[in-house]
Amino acid sequence: MRPIIGMTSYVLPADWGVWRDLPTALVPHDYTEAVRLAGGRAVILPPDDHDADVLDRLDGLVLTGGPDLQPSLYGQNLGPHTVVHAERDIAELLLLRAALDRDLPILGVCRGMQLLTIAAGGTLHQHLPDVLGHEKHRPGPGVYGSQQAVLEPGSRIAALMGDDLTINCFHHQGVADPGSLTVTGRAADGLPEVVEDPDRRFVLGVQWHPEVSRDRRLFGALVAAASKELTKACADR
Amino acid sequence: MRRPLIGLTAYAEQIHHGRNDLMAAMLPMNYVKAVHATGGRAVLITPDEPGTDVIESLDGIVFCGGGDIDPANWGAPRHPATEADTVRDASELLLMRAALEADLPILGVCRGLQLMAVATGGSLHQHLPDVVGHERHRAAAGTDPLAAGSSDYGRHDVVVEEGTAAHRLFGRTLTVNSFHHQAIADPGEFRPVGWCPDDQVVEIVEHPGKSFALGVQWHPERTTDLRAFAALAEAAARDRAVVA
Repeated sequence: MRPIIGMTSYVLPADWGVWRDLPTALVPHDYTEAVRLAGGRAVILPPDDHDADVLDRLDGLVLTGGPDLQPSLYGQNLGPHTVVHAERDIAELLLLRAALDRDLPILGVCRGMQLLTIAAGGTLHQHLPDVLGHEKHRPGPGVYGSQQAVLEPGSRIAALMGDDLTINCFHHQGVADPGSLTVTGRAADGLPEVVEDPDRRFVLGVQWHPEVSRDRRLFGALVAAASKELTKACADR
Repeated sequence: MRRPLIGLTAYAEQIHHGRNDLMAAMLPMNYVKAVHATGGRAVLITPDEPGTDVIESLDGIVFCGGGDIDPANWGAPRHPATEADTVRDASELLLMRAALEADLPILGVCRGLQLMAVATGGSLHQHLPDVVGHERHRAAAGTDPLAAGSSDYGRHDVVVEEGTAAHRLFGRTLTVNSFHHQAIADPGEFRPVGWCPDDQVVEIVEHPGKSFALGVQWHPERTTDLRAFAALAEAAARDRAVVA
């Protein structure tokens, strides 16, 4: 049996077939394919604020990208460029906090990295161009900003990435204060691009989009950590 | 008490959202809300996986609506009106057979009911208007006050056979919304237990040998009548209690 990797879900009014603007739970195919190619079985977790018991059946968790997090979660007012989805925030924080309690392997992507940060007591920049004075982290609609990451020697991410440090960014918010997490990678402008929690088995957040290239280095590491979780769970049964 | 975990088979579709055009694993939220409203916890099962191991993690499964099933699966040539979703077919036929084998509680909705027939050796009418001579099983503009997008749905009655699980759930008759152009011809191992009285189109099937395997041709997730989802959640909770 493959390890089961739960992925948080977007909820969007989507058009397809004969339907227009139908509220839809979805995850871009890139994510499910990245998990499949890495040897995991992806299931999608639509937002639900009831409880986090679904974690009993999961071996790993991917916090997917998406809209901005509510600034009230880190003690700020809503900025003019901030677009939020409250239903996801509440459900995903509930899920994430329970997953951290269980030390479940977690990979956070873009919004997912920001969610890890907030759960760790950190804060975000609400609009990077205001802070950095450039648009390199989101060059334009649908365009990824290609950058070279600078990684902390000896960190988990440095070991996983090896020599190819190219990253593809698409975000307008970023980590200001990582809270209890450790920043282990940055862009050339100094913005945090990677956070880790060295005290847990596998907690990794990246600000870029490894699913687009189905990056085996990162998704493979998550699935490997989840396989250990699965083995442990089988032994406990 | 912990909620039963209900898998929902998802679409793989090219979708449009704002300026984005992307391939996504997706499902209308009304399925998710129907599961959550009846005491389950929904997870979406993506169709791009040929494996069935995910079945072991679930307490119940819903085979959701969607495109047509490829008639090659019952050895028929393709009708011009048939728009097959072969990616989902391959994945869901495997999942359906594995779920039946495991006696996992199963609800089939629209395409899901049709899949029950095809997965167990049955067959479908590929274009219902050719068979019944009318279009009332799909868009009859503005006639369906039950539906969210009312102009997209037909509406008709269903009569249920006495002495069946479906009769205990729905009673003798009910009114349903309708959005399909195919229907069951041969139910395979399933038993037809509900029909549209106007044309005898099969609207409900159940499996006599399984603890809970119910298929409905309509779309309860788009109505306030969630009895089919509640019955699945109840069966799934019972199933899980036995396992525990």
